[in-house]
Amino acid sequence: MRWKQRPFLLSVDRLYCGEKNPAPQHTRRALLLTSAAGLATAALVPQAIAGEEHLASEHADDTVELIERLTGKTPVASDRLRIIMPRTFPNGYTVPLDIEVESPMTQSDHVRYVRVVAPRNPLIEVVTFHFVPERSLPRVSTRIRLAEPQFVVAFAELNDGTLLTAKTWVEVATNGCA
Amino acid sequence: MVVVTPRVQVPSSVTPGKTFQVKALIAHKMETGLRRDNEGNIIPRDIVNKFICRYNGVNVFTTDLHEAVSANPYFEFYLRATESGPLEFVWYEDGGKLYSLAHQLVVDS
Repeated sequence: MRWKQRPFLLSVDRLYCGEKNPAPQHTRRALLLTSAAGLATAALVPQAIAGEEHLASEHADDTVELIERLTGKTPVASDRLRIIMPRTFPNGYTVPLDIEVESPMTQSDHVRYVRVVAPRNPLIEVVTFHFVPERSLPRVSTRIRLAEPQFVVAFAELNDGTLLTAKTWVEVATNGCA
Repeated sequence: MVVVTPRVQVPSSVTPGKTFQVKALIAHKMETGLRRDNEGNIIPRDIVNKFICRYNGVNVFTTDLHEAVSANPYFEFYLRATESGPLEFVWYEDGGKLYSLAHQLVVDS
């Protein structure tokens, strides 16, 4: 019975890696039904959580690799950079995007730019904001297009060359890039 | 032909050294270059690729836009000023055309 759990976790894996037509119905309900069908819930749930954590770390690696390819530098995940987007949005044409970086914006400590990429769009670049110390605050709102549910990734370069990164999962119901 | 109209919203007067919000919107279709017309030909890309805000002749906020910015690009950003001066907003369209708007910023003394 234990072996039967493996394909389940693998297919969740594929779903979260954003395959075009994921295997259907890997929902909480399906999970609970499976567990009701003979598996001890206590044994299954910790494994499922472990699986999710594994996915999260895998994605972090993807993001790091992508940013390294774009900038040639290794980013640091940081909560100083906040990317605020709805978790689900009905259309992909005008998804609200709010970006905020905690920074005093002085000559000696400021944000140079914030760049936003949507890795699963046909063209991944979204927008880049450049800021000026003393004059502009690193806080912007705009609206973007998303082709499919995905992690939206933002990274900010500080004046000392440090790259901060953050990402957020956004689910869109319709393709905004067609 | 769609008329491209830029609009901005700036507070009527601001306190020196305090941050204030600026809203900038341009009515633009932002054609991505990925869509096809009824005959199957690709509709050429036509987007606003750059937006600049200048204060006293110096760039204070610059944005590079790509295809994934929504039609009618809208930005809400925050500036800080110490003296009254002109605020200029410029949108650069593909093909070199630009749209601009000027606004006199009043800073309370």
